[in-house]
Amino acid sequence: MLKMQHYSISKKLTWINMLVSGVALLLACAAFFAYDLYTFRVGIVRNLSTQAQIIGSNTVSALVFNDPHAAENTLSALKASPHIVYAAIYTTDGQPFAGYWLDGNGKTLPLPALPAGQTQANWVSGGQISLVDSIIFQGKPTGFVYIQSDLRAINDRLKSYAFITASVLMISLVVALLISRVSQRIISEPVVQLAQTVRVVSHEKNYSVRAATTGNHDEVSTLIEAFNEMLGQIQQRDGALQQAHDKLEQRVQERTTQLGEANKELEQKNREVERATKLKSQFLASMSHELRTPLNAIIGFSDLLAEKTAGPLTDKQGRFVGHVRDGAHHLLQLINDILDLSKIEAGQLELRRENFQIAEALPEVLSTIRPLAMAKNINVEQKGTTGLSVYADRVRFKQILYNLLSNAVKFTPKGGQIEIDYHEVGNLASISVKDTGIGIRPEDQAAVFEEFRQLEAGAAPSHEGTGLGLAITKRLVEQQAGTISLESAVGKGSRFTFTLPAGSETTTTVSTAKSPLVSGGAVKRDACKPLVLIVDDELSSRELLASYLSSEYRIAMAESGAEALEKVKQLRPDAVTLDVLMEKGDGLETLVTLRKQAETATMPVIVLSIVDKTNVGFALGATDYLIKPIRKAQLLETMHKHVSPRADDDSVILLVDDDPKTLELLEDTLRSAGYETQSVQSGARALEVLSSKIVSAVLLDLLMPGMDGFQVISHIRQQATLRELPIFVMTAKTLTEQDLAILGRETQAFFLKGGSWQHQLVDEINRVIQGRRAKAAGQQL
Amino acid sequence: MDPVQDTESVRRLYPGRKARRTPAFRVRLTILVLAWALAGFPCSWAQRPKPSDYQVKAAYLYNFGRFVEWPRVATAKGGPFTVCVLGQDPFGSTLDATMAGETIAGRNVVTKRISTPEESVNCQILFLSAAEAGRLNKIVEGLDKAAVLTVSDMPQFAQRGGMIQFVLEGNRVRFEVNLIATQHAGLTLSSDLLRVATAVRRNSPGRD
Repeated sequence: MLKMQHYSISKKLTWINMLVSGVALLLACAAFFAYDLYTFRVGIVRNLSTQAQIIGSNTVSALVFNDPHAAENTLSALKASPHIVYAAIYTTDGQPFAGYWLDGNGKTLPLPALPAGQTQANWVSGGQISLVDSIIFQGKPTGFVYIQSDLRAINDRLKSYAFITASVLMISLVVALLISRVSQRIISEPVVQLAQTVRVVSHEKNYSVRAATTGNHDEVSTLIEAFNEMLGQIQQRDGALQQAHDKLEQRVQERTTQLGEANKELEQKNREVERATKLKSQFLASMSHELRTPLNAIIGFSDLLAEKTAGPLTDKQGRFVGHVRDGAHHLLQLINDILDLSKIEAGQLELRRENFQIAEALPEVLSTIRPLAMAKNINVEQKGTTGLSVYADRVRFKQILYNLLSNAVKFTPKGGQIEIDYHEVGNLASISVKDTGIGIRPEDQAAVFEEFRQLEAGAAPSHEGTGLGLAITKRLVEQQAGTISLESAVGKGSRFTFTLPAGSETTTTVSTAKSPLVSGGAVKRDACKPLVLIVDDELSSRELLASYLSSEYRIAMAESGAEALEKVKQLRPDAVTLDVLMEKGDGLETLVTLRKQAETATMPVIVLSIVDKTNVGFALGATDYLIKPIRKAQLLETMHKHVSPRADDDSVILLVDDDPKTLELLEDTLRSAGYETQSVQSGARALEVLSSKIVSAVLLDLLMPGMDGFQVISHIRQQATLRELPIFVMTAKTLTEQDLAILGRETQAFFLKGGSWQHQLVDEINRVIQGRRAKAAGQQL
Repeated sequence: MDPVQDTESVRRLYPGRKARRTPAFRVRLTILVLAWALAGFPCSWAQRPKPSDYQVKAAYLYNFGRFVEWPRVATAKGGPFTVCVLGQDPFGSTLDATMAGETIAGRNVVTKRISTPEESVNCQILFLSAAEAGRLNKIVEGLDKAAVLTVSDMPQFAQRGGMIQFVLEGNRVRFEVNLIATQHAGLTLSSDLLRVATAVRRNSPGRD
């Protein structure tokens, strides 16, 4: 039956038909058969009963008058009915009285007791039907008749009935099968056809086919009609969908085309933008060169003018030259800032990050700032965690600090206070610069870090600056994974705080070795230089003075009057600079003491002071008197007057530059430092000179028409005799990493035009040439 | 044979088919049948002494009554069915015990001892003791056509005008029938009775 689920509908219908008719027929046969059996049995029983009664009534007298023979005679008449196998008469006591046996075996059966209240009973057992009847004569029980009949009659009937039933069933089922075979088609055929149509539709996605309709008007035909209608709708929708799909595809294609075009345009524009950026960078690079070159001349010559190397100036002329210089410096700063900013914007800023101690980098910045601060009588203090280091670009770190400090100096009134504080916060180094300046209004604080924004505070009418310093500072900090913040209150001051990643403990101290300030090696190497003892109680002051003088003089330092007197005795310096306002011991007393001693009575002692007591100073024996802040040039000039640094007359330095003004400037600078020079205006000419003449060094411009600086360097290094020739480079070119690599490898030093290069240049040349001389002397010995 | 008897007493003792409907009666009958089956049978088989000849004969007297078709006249008076013993009574109390509570032809059976044949007018069955053989002829003539069934165990009784004569066959009590006498008296004997009779005397040419 379970299998029936997988049958086709016609098979199912046939099956159901067969099942129904089979079951009905079987039930009917069974009922009929049962009824017939029942009636047949009832008939048998009635027959038996009748016979029993006849026997009973015929044996009454025999019973009553105790005549078994007569009874047996009566019973023997039963021979006529072959089904009766046993019959017996019993007395009312149940005693067998007379018997009859079909097979004559003579076995008397005990009389079964009649059920209560019944005179007759019958039952079937052992293939026989038994009947007991009481013999009643004139209402009085007289005995019993017991008759047994076999059931062969019933069995025969059963057999014949089974045969008939089977035949009827077979024939009926065959007929039913034939009929249902034909009749089920009425229902199954439309359904099968519908199923086939459905299969065609679902397999071939063909919605144009229709199921065949039947002539009937039943549920199946309704189903077919509904299905056809549905197919029609689907077909319609399919068409609409296809149409929409086609339209969509077309639109997508159109859009794709448009997008492609837009993309192409965008690419074009992108390329243009890239080119524009490149052009901008090139423009800026060339601009920087073009701007710096003339500016270099302006600054250099105004410096020289101011230093009165070209002759005395009237006060007015001096002032004008000062204005020119300041303006030029400002312009230079502006150009440098713009270049920095554009580099940062263009992502071209190259950072060389390293670990270094803040305390190392700080003096270099302070040495620049202190003169400015001193000019406004601003005290600069520093405090912080010793040994704290940062991981940053050393040059840029100094730039950040310089910007903040110069900003603070700019906005702090005279006599104010600037405080530098650095300490560790987590794994960051936090550096703050606090001033007692005019402060910044809260609403302006955010704008401070934007480009070209300067406070329009009335309190400080003219604060010259590029307005780029803080913007650059912020970017520099952020590019080094730091943050910068500002706290400020109007009238009270500001505090700029920036953080940078703290460096590891091991820090490189390359700068110390390089620094000529305290290097013992430098002292030895420069043994030929005059010795200057700097006496000042403030370290930064000592360092500043040392940095000013170190290029031309050997330096010794003392931080008190007592120490100064002792060192004078020991070292016998060529000159002394003396701060007269020291905490321990008055500088003036030291001056007096020095003058009293015979050995030092004529020693040049230059008094440096923040206070203008020139007359007193000279009265007490000062050789010269300078008022702080002291500019380097001023100090050197003064020092030169009393102790001139030794210069070798035979040193010829070849100057190569296409710009005659620069050449003139260089000539002037180097001659004042005691060097002979020879100038040429092209690379080719330089090579000619080098081939015919021995020079002690070459000072080279990089950007020249024809053969440029790099080519010249390359030619020089190719000649064996010139391989050791010191080359110095002066340039306004914005240097790339590649350029720097070449210059670092092939040259002794390089200088950027526009900076304060003159003194560095002299320093470096001194160092290299004198070092070579010392070496040569050593070899001769 | 009419098994249905509608009198109250008969119904109580010999239940007919109509009686089945009374449950109480059914219970009583059950007890009776059980008593029969459990107590009666084994008793009758093993213990009951063989009945004496006169006990059998008394029972036969009763049964003769039942196998005879009594003429209306004999039973019309509505009185009891009387069994008489003439002369010396050989039955004793056995006859009374046998007949007590029985009915024949719808009438209660009573017994009566008589000493003269004239008293036999109201008898239906008349047993003549063997001592009456001397005046048998007189008695038969006296009865003439009266519907009185005469029974006796005297020898030659049937030949001498008696109706039923007990005879002993071995030790079994049997009987002979004189149909001439019964027909003369207007009594019809059931064929069943005749079937079990040892001898049946019919119209003898010497008589009549």
